[in-house]
Amino acid sequence: MIEIDAWVVFLLLFLTPVVSSVPIALAYKSKGWTEKLPVLSVLGIGVSVLASLYIFFTFPQELPECQFSYNWIPDLGINIVLITDYLSRFMGVVTAVIAFFIAIYGLDYMKGDYRPSWYWFFFNLFTASMLLVVYSDNLFLLFVGWEGLGAASWGLIGHWFRDDDDIAYVGKAGRKVGPLELSWPPSFGGWRAISTIRFGDVPMFFAIAAIWVLAGGNLNISQIDWESLFLGIGTAGTIILMLCLLMGLFTKSAQVPFSEWLMTAMTGPTTVSALLHSATMVAAGAFVFIKLTWYIEPWHLRGVPGLEGVEYVYLFVLFVGLISGLYGALVGSGMLERKVLLAASTMSSIGLMFAAAAASLWVGHFAVLVAFWYMAVHAFAKASLFLVAGHLIHATHSRFSCGGLEFAKRMKPALVVTVVATTFLVGMPPLTAYWVKSGMDEVMEHLLHDYHMVLPLLLLILTSLVYSAVMARFLSLNFIKGEKPEHEHLEGGGLMKLGYSLMVSVLLVLLFLIFTSKETAEFVEAGLAPVSFVVGLGALGAYLVAAKVPRLKALSKVPGTFFSDRMYLPFLNDYILPKIGFFAAHFVQNYGNRGIDGFFNTKVVPGLFRGISKGIRAVQTGYLKTYVKIVLGFVMLFLIFASLGLGVGLGLGGAGL
Amino acid sequence: MDTLSNLLFLCLLLPLVVAFVAPLFSPKRATYLSFLAFILPFFAIIYSVFKVAPFEIPLTTFSPPIGEFYLHFDFISYAFGLTICIVSAMIALFALPYMKHRFEEMGREVESEFRKYIFLYDLYAASMLWLVFSGNFVLLYVFLEITLITAFLLIYTYGYGNRKWVGMLYLIWCAVAGVLTLAGIVLVAFENDTLALNVLMAGGKVSTLAWAFIFAGMIIELPVLGPHIWLPWAHAEAPTPVSALLSPLTVGLAGYVLLRTALIDYSFIETYRIPILAYAIFSSIYGGFSVFKQTDFKRLLAYSTVSQMGYILVALCLGPFGLIGLVIQYMSHAFGKSILFSSAGGIIAVHHGLRDINKMGGLHDSIPAISNAAVLGFLNLGGMLTVGMLGEFFILRGVVETFGVTKSSLGIILAVIFMFILSVWYGFYTIRKVFYGKPRSTKRLEISRYLYVPLYIIGIVSVLLLFPPLSTVLIQGLNLISGLGLGGLGVGGVGVGGVGGVVP
Repeated sequence: MIEIDAWVVFLLLFLTPVVSSVPIALAYKSKGWTEKLPVLSVLGIGVSVLASLYIFFTFPQELPECQFSYNWIPDLGINIVLITDYLSRFMGVVTAVIAFFIAIYGLDYMKGDYRPSWYWFFFNLFTASMLLVVYSDNLFLLFVGWEGLGAASWGLIGHWFRDDDDIAYVGKAGRKVGPLELSWPPSFGGWRAISTIRFGDVPMFFAIAAIWVLAGGNLNISQIDWESLFLGIGTAGTIILMLCLLMGLFTKSAQVPFSEWLMTAMTGPTTVSALLHSATMVAAGAFVFIKLTWYIEPWHLRGVPGLEGVEYVYLFVLFVGLISGLYGALVGSGMLERKVLLAASTMSSIGLMFAAAAASLWVGHFAVLVAFWYMAVHAFAKASLFLVAGHLIHATHSRFSCGGLEFAKRMKPALVVTVVATTFLVGMPPLTAYWVKSGMDEVMEHLLHDYHMVLPLLLLILTSLVYSAVMARFLSLNFIKGEKPEHEHLEGGGLMKLGYSLMVSVLLVLLFLIFTSKETAEFVEAGLAPVSFVVGLGALGAYLVAAKVPRLKALSKVPGTFFSDRMYLPFLNDYILPKIGFFAAHFVQNYGNRGIDGFFNTKVVPGLFRGISKGIRAVQTGYLKTYVKIVLGFVMLFLIFASLGLGVGLGLGGAGL
Repeated sequence: MDTLSNLLFLCLLLPLVVAFVAPLFSPKRATYLSFLAFILPFFAIIYSVFKVAPFEIPLTTFSPPIGEFYLHFDFISYAFGLTICIVSAMIALFALPYMKHRFEEMGREVESEFRKYIFLYDLYAASMLWLVFSGNFVLLYVFLEITLITAFLLIYTYGYGNRKWVGMLYLIWCAVAGVLTLAGIVLVAFENDTLALNVLMAGGKVSTLAWAFIFAGMIIELPVLGPHIWLPWAHAEAPTPVSALLSPLTVGLAGYVLLRTALIDYSFIETYRIPILAYAIFSSIYGGFSVFKQTDFKRLLAYSTVSQMGYILVALCLGPFGLIGLVIQYMSHAFGKSILFSSAGGIIAVHHGLRDINKMGGLHDSIPAISNAAVLGFLNLGGMLTVGMLGEFFILRGVVETFGVTKSSLGIILAVIFMFILSVWYGFYTIRKVFYGKPRSTKRLEISRYLYVPLYIIGIVSVLLLFPPLSTVLIQGLNLISGLGLGGLGVGGVGVGGVGGVVP
């Protein structure tokens, strides 16, 4: 009974968003239809929300009942296996709800766009793909969703493919550093996203294929015996396997040094940025890491002989996460573009999620919960902020931060939402993120106490303070201390306001859940610890200072430009790597292909034929004398070879005798 | 023979018959007839994939060393066959407006030229279809030569640029390939006293010399780096519908021949695995890098074929899973490349012979339908969300099965990974260059539906093949074959059936 119901629910969950966006994709030629049909696409996501809630409230949570399997290629272990465990059921709701609110907002935001069919089709595909990633237990199925994310993000980031409107660019036109102009059009943003992501996806796909072999043909995350898998390939094998896997997660989640695509991804419509940054895409990397860690249970593997590889890998992830966290926060502090500032801060948050989840090797299960909850809180807060940013861009026709108190008075809902979202996100007591961040403080403090690792806690506190300042800066530059906007266009936008107001209100629900659910009881305990409280006060202080002084004159020159040029990381993406690539392409084309072509096709082959035919023609003189000579020549040759052969034969015979 | 196998046999006969009948009709009717001649076998094959266990239809028997002529219907042939059918059927539709336009451009009489053209086209496609069902090397070789000659005639008479020179170039290179392969086949005949594949599969031997001949011939036809020089010319200058069969279907058939030979005797590949693999990877990466510098859209696609055929050769070296990967890679490349060549053709037809990429950019505005189809095509090449994903997955698994995950295998692992990455890089790079960026005109052009609807159908098939129920039956069927062929000989160490047993 429940079996049949379950598959109906899953089909509704995954397929309605896609199916409901097919009509608008097909009707791309008709202006009338493309204005009406977006509602259908939004309703499709609405169905997903209902399905995810239904799963949340009625489906089993414990293994093995929470696993649902349907044959795909059963002989080889590739199956459609879905799971509704603690992580998936929560994350599914988060994803669907966020996508739904953003979609409502998008009805207003994307009105009058030049290719609505493209936008809605990919937006819904994006949502469905993320849901597939969230609920998959089978790694191959998960990768199908993963590729869907990649393709859809490419489509959405490069949505305004005409590159004709400065509002869709990232970077300041004319800002040159050395040979590079730090300004990127949308079509480039899309290409950069897919090329970076693919750079990680194939190694990850390889890792999945390797797991497929090593786990004896089983691809279900919850069923693989990770311990014996790692033992089987030894330290080197474990490191190779996990690094390949992590390449996929790090590129998708834009961790250092793969973060550049995320910054230029801001060329997409703001709705896309909001979705990309909260519950899909960048969150996907961290989510998959959390999910894997949940089942690998690395805390049981620490200290087991032969499993040192796991320890190295988790240590590596811990530091990549922390460094990305600090990098993102610092870069954000130098940004003036609204969306890019938020993008940098997202990267920072995702880094902290990776770090917390990785710390579970030492701290245990609690650390994974911290990472997961931080992801949920961050998702709603960041999505709200992006939606506000989008509204501001509409209202001021500028992607750079601007707007003072007077402007804020006319944009009250946006102001309120920004204040709520930022304060709830930066970890000041006693707002939502404070409790989760306290958990994170506790985790890192644990590393300090029991394992004498000073750096993690230090980096975390530093990141938290800078992060808090960055968020306050966003508030201040747009609503308090920013310059007066050149244009103001304040009419309409009702659905936009509705979208972000709904979004931000969920933060209160999460606060309620933290205090009531039993899994998060430890967060509350951690929040009452003195260290957490001090860090929280620090965040509050940084917030207040930065809100009052959003731009430090003394810092704007040297570290300021260094941060706003993103520590010159674009050089890696836009200069060094393309130079190498184009050198190879140039070499191959101008020496390889021209060489082979020019040599074989126009010299060797025709020359050979010409030579042979000339020779044959030279022989055919028509004079009997010549032919006799040739025949005699051959006879002579034959005689010589025959006598040689005879001689050798005799010689051998003689030797034999 | 029961009715089902009779039906399948008739379906195979259909395109051959139509090749001779279609010229009697007007271009439009002839096109529909050709379309039917390939779409019916397509559905028949899909049906048999679900219903019919592998079987054979005997034709005739010759004295040794030639042996029995028969048609074999197994999953490898099904996979290749259904690919050939769907692509040929769709390209037949695409060709209707395109070739009419081409004949007008050449100043010829449309009706009468179309008769010649449709005859050659149908014969060309039908011979490829028969090739993959041929159960004897001699029969297979005969069809290989028919494809060569018909394709040559099509390029020679309807190609672009210096088409006669290019036609000759193609003919000579592929004739050399054919002769080398024939020499290998003759050696196999004398070694085994038969050329019937079923007898050879059951314990036949292919000596190193014979293998070397077949291999040398087929890497010219495939082609890989070095002998690839004929391909960019032929693909670029052939009339687009011919390019759209030549690159997707014909060249990959070299992979088919290698696969059949490998299933008989895998020893050659095992002995020379490392050099062949290195050569294949290098060739593929070389082809991939070549793509970036091309200025002619069709030539660009031709170099991408070199890169993709490298995948096929890589797959050949990787044991049972690699061989399954080879079959899927053939399908995925065929779908992708036929879509892409047709989109290139669409641009040529709509934008008056436009092929120079430097003059493109922002084309999405004028021809969104073709632009989006090209995205589907490149997704196929990159193995994203289409059947190509399975192909890559099996090839990657082949790497692990053959070399393991150790420090010493790291080089090969990274090389194969990079090879796969490169396809998506050049694909989306090209899309951006051709279709996106500042448009020259935002006016949407009205174009014939024949120019894009067939492409989407191919694309949909390639997506459907990734998911159940099609992939379920097809992949499990393929798994059975390579398990029998290689597991039986103990190649690669891992019997596929053994893995299947572990799965709950």
